[in-house]
Amino acid sequence: MSQNLTMSPDLGTEDWDPDVITRMIFIGPGAHVSEQEIVTAFHMLDLPLTIKNTCYGSMISGKSEDVYEAIKEIRKLDPNHIFTKERGFAPGDPRRCRGHRFGPREGFHQMEKEYQILGFVSNALENPKEVEIEEKKPVDVDEFKKIMNECLDKKE
Amino acid sequence: MVKVAIYPPNSLILADLIERKGHTPLVLQKQIRQKIKDPEIDSPPMNITEEDPIKGLKYAAIEVPSGVRGRMAIIGPLIDEAEAAIIVDGAPYGFGCIGCARTNELSIFLLRNKDIPVLEITYPTNQDETYVMVNDINEFIDSLEETDKEEE
Amino acid sequence: MVKIALVSCGTEYSGIQKEIEKAANKFGAEIILPEIDLDYIDESYEKFGFSAQSSSLKLMIARAMAIVEGRCKPDAVFIATCFRCAEAALVRNEVRRFIQNNTRIPVVTYSFTERTKADELFIRMEALATTVTRRSILAREKQEGLTLGLDSGSTTTKAVLMENNKVIGTGWTSTKDIIESAKTAAAEAFGETDYDWDDLDGIGTTGYGRFTMGQEFGAELIQEELSVNAKGAVYLADCQKGEATVLDIGGMDNKVITVNNGIPDNFTMGGICAGASGRFLDMTSRRLDVDITELGPLAVQGDWRKAMLNSYCIVFGIQDLVTTLAAGGSKADVAAAACHSVSEQVYEQQLQEIDIREPLIQVGGTSLISGLVEAVSETLGGIEVIVPEYSQHIGAVGSALLVSGMGHRQDNK
Repeated sequence: MSQNLTMSPDLGTEDWDPDVITRMIFIGPGAHVSEQEIVTAFHMLDLPLTIKNTCYGSMISGKSEDVYEAIKEIRKLDPNHIFTKERGFAPGDPRRCRGHRFGPREGFHQMEKEYQILGFVSNALENPKEVEIEEKKPVDVDEFKKIMNECLDKKE
Repeated sequence: MVKVAIYPPNSLILADLIERKGHTPLVLQKQIRQKIKDPEIDSPPMNITEEDPIKGLKYAAIEVPSGVRGRMAIIGPLIDEAEAAIIVDGAPYGFGCIGCARTNELSIFLLRNKDIPVLEITYPTNQDETYVMVNDINEFIDSLEETDKEEE
Repeated sequence: MVKIALVSCGTEYSGIQKEIEKAANKFGAEIILPEIDLDYIDESYEKFGFSAQSSSLKLMIARAMAIVEGRCKPDAVFIATCFRCAEAALVRNEVRRFIQNNTRIPVVTYSFTERTKADELFIRMEALATTVTRRSILAREKQEGLTLGLDSGSTTTKAVLMENNKVIGTGWTSTKDIIESAKTAAAEAFGETDYDWDDLDGIGTTGYGRFTMGQEFGAELIQEELSVNAKGAVYLADCQKGEATVLDIGGMDNKVITVNNGIPDNFTMGGICAGASGRFLDMTSRRLDVDITELGPLAVQGDWRKAMLNSYCIVFGIQDLVTTLAAGGSKADVAAAACHSVSEQVYEQQLQEIDIREPLIQVGGTSLISGLVEAVSETLGGIEVIVPEYSQHIGAVGSALLVSGMGHRQDNK
């Protein structure tokens, strides 16, 4: 089959509805809930949503009102470890789905990077505390001179 | 409720921290959704047509590359709508919409010059720095709430 | 199907992604994106050594690395970035060099705007697709047998007859009816020899009328002018290996083609202003009342600085030249100023868009105007400009060269 990166999407009526939105749900390290528990919890809410399991957590889509309601409820399961963000394209939209397009979505790499500090963010939310960080300053001129001379002495 | 612009405009952490405080993060994905759900779609995948880089002229002159103006046609309206802004220095950037350094420089400049409260922080690399970031964001959002109430 | 890897920045946001894909599909090719992960992007960006600020340019570098390291195996590569972006232009050229130096995969580069014309994309994709499917033809360095090359341009039709690696006859006529003009030009070429249509081994056609002529004469090779002119130029100038730039200042439009080992990899075409074309020189020679063939030598004797020329425009510029003459200026200075004006405007409109590689091979009818060739070299900081023999018949020579080995008309006789 021909590779086609810019196919005109053949989407259902729901996907064209501007009020239908998609959210991604991420579970940070050290969470008290599993991906499966979250998906089950979404189903238990009995809201008209499309729910999908993904490699990073899950994805839900539906009318904005229902989606926001569901997100509010799901956060309660583990407020400090569940993170969520909007997604522009609907789940499986051929224009962005890796299954149709060689190469990942444009935003995926950023998500990968941000995921690396999600554990730190969870800790900061869970046990808030004031931290002072010393600002790094350029080395003092005299100190610099001393080190330089030491290095030069060693060479000789 | 305050509309807070964020930079990078598609950051998971920034959007989430604002939303859990009950405010609206102005995120890029909503803009993209508007574009790609246009039934008149004739220029997939982003449905950016010849018209968009022309619309981008509102933010950058014709001598600026088309890719910058096309991106500004998506990001610009978020800046117009912003009532406050959080800008993260040294954040990881995705590709696509925010893959162009010139677009990002212009967007951040426009946010800084908008006469709205702006918080500038550094992207954390360890636990302590993350504490500072989360605390700074929470304090900033609380201060917005106060001004919001005063105005009411 | 020919797989073309897209290594680009800004195509989606300029709204031309779909156009690129359409152009590729038209020539039986498909666009693919090299798949890579984040670690690989960081790793290859470090390895490459260009500190780009824009992350999409880092991705571009990583995609190029994936091609060079064989993680992705495309048949050809299309490198494109936004016009007027300095950062992207630097990366585009370095990535191009990197792929060309480390693989044998053909590359075409392009700097686009939101108003990218379909024609410009089509001709690049056609050149890229034919480079892949007709690699063996483009590798041809010597002409064999008896072949005829026909180049039907917008203003003139050229014919060249070649035998055993030598041009033995040439023909030239202004284009009216495509077929009739081709026959006239061919008759002129045959006229210099004892041969006729029946003696040919093969026919190659190029230029705007290539399909019409190709059908009429049953041509063995119908090829766009980008590959043909590039090949013809490096063949005549004896620069088949390494890099070169081909410049054709035409009667109506101009072409600049960059070439790597005989294969074109970038190209710009323009035709908006008559002041940047051969037409300006034609007008000047009429005003000076000298034949166009005398304009070049006249210009070489003159000094453009002594003639007042405040406009590139074919109307106002020529008026300035007339004023200079009326004030007692010399014809030679006016001729030099006209050549300088055309060369400077070609530089401003087109040469700036492309990375010029030495030597520059100047072809087309205007390459016979020595004053213009000198002006081009001067405008480009004194670089080496080669004008090969038969430079005015470049497309026809290229066609006759490339079709040799393909035609077997005498086999059944």
